[in-house]
Amino acid sequence: MVPTPVPKPAPGNYNSIAAQYARAKAAKDADDKKKVDGILRENGILERTGKPRHVAERLNEFKAGRFTKDWGWVVGFFVWMLFIHISGIYFFTKGFLLTRLVLDSKSTCAEPPISISKPFKGAGTPEGGCWHPKTFDKAVVIIIDALRYDFTVPFNNISQVGASNPMPAQAYHNSIPFLYDTAIAEPHNAFLLPFIADPPTTTLQRLKGLTTGTLPTFIDAGSNFAGEAIKEDNLLQQLRDAGRKIVHLGDDTWTALFPGYFEEGISKAYDSLNVWDLHTVDTGVTEHILPLLASQRKDEWDVMFAHFLGVDHAGHRYGPNHPAMTMKLQQMNGLMQEIVQNLDDNTLLVVMGDHGMDGKGDHGGESDDEVQAALWMYSKKGIFGRTDPSFVTPPQNAKIRPVNQIDLVPTLALSLGLPIPFNNLGRPIEEAFVGKKGNAWDNLAGVSRMAAAGIKRYQAAYYDAQGINESTIDGSPHDLWGKAEGALISGNGKEQMLRGVYTNFSAFQEETLRICRDLWARFDVPSMILGISILAAGVVALVFHANDNAEADTTEEDIDLEMKERDLELKAISDGKPELLYEENASRSAVKGAIIGTAVGVAAVLVPWGLVGGGSMMDFAVGGGSIGGLVAVLFTKLKTRLRFSNPLPRTVWGWLAAIFTISQSIGFASNSYTIWEDSILLFFITTFGLAAAISSIRIEKHSDRVLAIYHSAAFVALGWIASSSKLCREEQMPWCRSTYYASANSSTSAPWQLLILFIVAAALPSIIKSYYVSSRNYEGFAPVWISWAFRTGLILCAIFWTIDAADDSEWFTGFSSATLKTLRTPIAQTIFAVSIGAGSLAFGSAPPCVSISSSAAPTPGSQITSSSGATVTILGFANTHGSRYFLLVVNVLLAILMVQKPMGAGAIALMSWQILSLLEILDLNTLTSSPIGPVVLALLGSFHFFKTGHQATLSSIQWESAFIPLHTIRYPWSPLLVALNSFGAQILAVSAVPLVALWKQKPRKKGILQSVAAALAWHALYYAVVGLATTMWAGHLRRHLMLYRIFCPKFMTAAAVLVIVDVVGLLVALMGVRWNTISIGEVFGWR
Amino acid sequence: MPLIDPVTMASTDQASVKSQSVELLPTDLARIFTNVHPVLLLSAYYLRFPALIADPITTLLQSLPILVVLQIAYATLCLPPTGSGTSSKPSKKSKLGVKKADTSPSKAITVFFALILSVFSVPVLAGLQVLFGAPITTHIPQTLLSSSHLALLGVFPLAYVHGSDGSKWREILSVYSPIDEVFGGSLGCFLGAWLGAVPIPLDWDREWQKWPITIVTGAYAGYAVGKLAGTWLLKGKRIEFD
Repeated sequence: MVPTPVPKPAPGNYNSIAAQYARAKAAKDADDKKKVDGILRENGILERTGKPRHVAERLNEFKAGRFTKDWGWVVGFFVWMLFIHISGIYFFTKGFLLTRLVLDSKSTCAEPPISISKPFKGAGTPEGGCWHPKTFDKAVVIIIDALRYDFTVPFNNISQVGASNPMPAQAYHNSIPFLYDTAIAEPHNAFLLPFIADPPTTTLQRLKGLTTGTLPTFIDAGSNFAGEAIKEDNLLQQLRDAGRKIVHLGDDTWTALFPGYFEEGISKAYDSLNVWDLHTVDTGVTEHILPLLASQRKDEWDVMFAHFLGVDHAGHRYGPNHPAMTMKLQQMNGLMQEIVQNLDDNTLLVVMGDHGMDGKGDHGGESDDEVQAALWMYSKKGIFGRTDPSFVTPPQNAKIRPVNQIDLVPTLALSLGLPIPFNNLGRPIEEAFVGKKGNAWDNLAGVSRMAAAGIKRYQAAYYDAQGINESTIDGSPHDLWGKAEGALISGNGKEQMLRGVYTNFSAFQEETLRICRDLWARFDVPSMILGISILAAGVVALVFHANDNAEADTTEEDIDLEMKERDLELKAISDGKPELLYEENASRSAVKGAIIGTAVGVAAVLVPWGLVGGGSMMDFAVGGGSIGGLVAVLFTKLKTRLRFSNPLPRTVWGWLAAIFTISQSIGFASNSYTIWEDSILLFFITTFGLAAAISSIRIEKHSDRVLAIYHSAAFVALGWIASSSKLCREEQMPWCRSTYYASANSSTSAPWQLLILFIVAAALPSIIKSYYVSSRNYEGFAPVWISWAFRTGLILCAIFWTIDAADDSEWFTGFSSATLKTLRTPIAQTIFAVSIGAGSLAFGSAPPCVSISSSAAPTPGSQITSSSGATVTILGFANTHGSRYFLLVVNVLLAILMVQKPMGAGAIALMSWQILSLLEILDLNTLTSSPIGPVVLALLGSFHFFKTGHQATLSSIQWESAFIPLHTIRYPWSPLLVALNSFGAQILAVSAVPLVALWKQKPRKKGILQSVAAALAWHALYYAVVGLATTMWAGHLRRHLMLYRIFCPKFMTAAAVLVIVDVVGLLVALMGVRWNTISIGEVFGWR
Repeated sequence: MPLIDPVTMASTDQASVKSQSVELLPTDLARIFTNVHPVLLLSAYYLRFPALIADPITTLLQSLPILVVLQIAYATLCLPPTGSGTSSKPSKKSKLGVKKADTSPSKAITVFFALILSVFSVPVLAGLQVLFGAPITTHIPQTLLSSSHLALLGVFPLAYVHGSDGSKWREILSVYSPIDEVFGGSLGCFLGAWLGAVPIPLDWDREWQKWPITIVTGAYAGYAVGKLAGTWLLKGKRIEFD
């Protein structure tokens, strides 16, 4: 090696500190280098062959370059794998997530779908009423977001005494009594009914349903963050066509759906997604709505849509059982009273919830609590009636006499004298049309006939557009239509007969609705099969790839062999033939195959695409490319595979990994195993821990045995402690008790849970430190990093959540909510800046966590070598790779801890401890090249997903985590934060995967990149198999009752996790390994 | 103590160092009863199964004495008690007619000792079940009773045969002991109990899914299968992890 020249001090500046430092540093560097060289030479790793030094230098450079290239191939393979996974998920989703043909047809005033049975004055004009006499000139439609039905009906313990499990009144009970009381006191002016939403129960989809009268399809579910204009025929369009002035106040989802519909100047939209803010929207709407009701401003509007968000936000933020909810509901109660007082006789008032909320105040799914909203209609005309006197009392619960949310569309349209929107599938609500005495059967029969005819017309148009012959559809409601129509024609207007007509038309509507639900569950099976096939072939490719890389790394270390190899390498370099040193590796051949195959595949499908002339070119190209690439890679793999054994596991550990992965994947075909996934994961994790303990007892060396048993026990115990953090999904009840939040009906943490954060801040850095100290790696940057920066970050995190809790529970009345928010947001931003920004920079430049000294006393756990008579010690030599890489994991850990609620932070802290124990177990039992390590990491990631307060359901997404470091929604940060919160455990696990190969590895370890590639492939394989299985089951069970409740959310979770793990594997794990290896290579030389 | 690494000692004389599988007592009664024993266990279990579903706690408790009697009978009739020379270090001599060493403890004392050890293993087994996900705040009697059954099936015979031989127990705990009908039965019992957890989460709403019925059922079935496999199929084999 070239000796480092000692820089001469700058002239004239002899004693400057800089110069002194430079000299001292150069001297020390040279000294260090000499020591290292000495050690390496003694170990026989460095050349003793007398070759000229520059050859060795060149060899070193060559090897650094070779590492970078090999790394590029490894990255290439995982990029290709990511493409395959996305492609497979894309094709499956395309066929699986339901789509509905959007028809452009519009209803017009003058052309009812069927002749009006009882002519009236002004029929066919918006003034008189298009298809039905206009009943109201104006309407005020108020949406109280997430107004669940049971909020509105009285609750008292006395009526519950008979129940087996009497429940005390919750915070949400009896707080908005006005609606119920009015319905009882003035039955002709008001009625209150359960109002059932069609899932998905997200506001955007609900508004579509409430204005078009049609069923949303699942593909819409993802677009809640960015709405899009409704193109179908809808109520607002009909209003606008009839020349009515529409005013909108509140939730800005409306303006996204109906751009340009609303009167400018008096309409007012507010940001809808800031769920931390309970009051801005409500205050704003209240401020604007009351003046508009005054008689002097009556001409400025005809129909008003006011959308309050406070109740929904209180639910998201605190859960329903919280004083904030009581307050919000009471506020709404008062407001409704005030609005009623200001209402004139010709105005219809509709108050409704667009969906309900689950036990934690979230929504999106199709559980009972999420779909059961309330509908209250009021007018001073006194025209509402009941078909049965007992119906005056609103139903006790939402199971009795519910109406569908789409039923509001024909009801509103006919009451306001408008045509029913073309796509409507709902039926008129009988209370609004049956008349004051409850006997206007002719009117009821008329409106239900009109609505049914509209439905029939729509059906015909829909089948026509799809090119399906309607009569071929099973169970066509044609018969029902014929029966109803026949009854009307033959009848003579008697009440009994009209009643029958009404029942028959209603039956027709119900049946059609059922058929439509089925029809729009029409799947594109070939596309689904293509997606599944791509995922399946991807799994096979990944199995081969993991095996290839694992086999490449099994060569034993032999010092003589290494010396000979070294001589050959030097010779090749000095002969100027470095190409001899390139070894064929699994990643390179696979990537080359993938590139060629993909290109051929894309080219090959473009021909049929051109011939067919239909379909998206993108789809064809992606499909062809995926298939071509997979065929080529599998071909390459099978060709090389002939030399090796089969890819089936060969050890107990391999089988254990396979059993964990496969049995769980099979289990996802059952709703029970999907529901209880968290318990199953605990079972597997404990099983691994027990197997590790059994294996550890076999270790012969006493100290190693004790350590290995200790780490196995710790691994199991920590997992068990973490399992006490639970967030139960609805289906787990009543066998599960949520502990994640303060109570089952809350989404805020209990004050004692804050203690967890402070314990984590105090203990976690010390625990990590202990793992460094045991291998003498608490050197270099490690002390500053772990005990100082990390701990400070954790303390700040604890402070953040304390302020947050103070805000939620109003501990400091002196500070406003806004002040507290301003106070805590910078804390979160600082933590992100430190962990992601500064942390990554520091990781890139950090030296290895070792200390090189010439201490005379031999120290256990260190590398001791004598070089030319001097004793030199490298502390932490044995874990050079692992201890440095773990610093990156610490960064990731801090970022994840920041976005978790206190209970989740506790779980993540336990998980990081489990990871360290796992690494020790793997090392002590020589399992570092077994698939079990990466698979157990994947189990840990999946397990702690549940322990951080998540479930495989849409409603368990903690949307509020988007606001932890921000005041408003900001792209792309908000979705990224929610992802970091949701999948933090999996992200931490995949970040730690390289450690399986790196932990307790000394510098210049051979084949480290292949080991990392194998570990990452095993890890990704777990998720790929789970992804494939859930995809297959969701496709297979597409008609299952529990599809949208269980299988579809599980599939979506698994697909999201698969893609995220692939991406984080590339961006964190492989990037980290690159920096890590280069940094260590620069100090210790390349191997 | 010979300081030889049991993992890598393939080159050394195995027979002299490695423990051997347990041989039955060389009597006809032993050979007959060892086959009758699992049949008795399973049929008794089958007969009590309806009662077990109806009232797990009472039934498990009431069947404990029966199980104790059956296991003691099996041990004393079929198995060599600890220290009798046939278990850990067999020599040609013992087979050639030297009946029983006078120094070995009496069968009664061995039975007593094995029972004590089984009792001590109950909380350990219960703790393991909790770690696997059994409820900790509720169902405590059920868990303790299922652990008692596991202990009598899986621990008692081992304790009777191997006594307090530390190195032998290390071999057993590390599942490295050569498989014989005693060790096979124990392994089968615990594997069966492990597999018994599989049907619990299913939403079939069957009474037999109650805790800990499936675990105990798995343990009994596994014990019988393991014992048979240990006698015939896997005798003398060792489980290697790598």
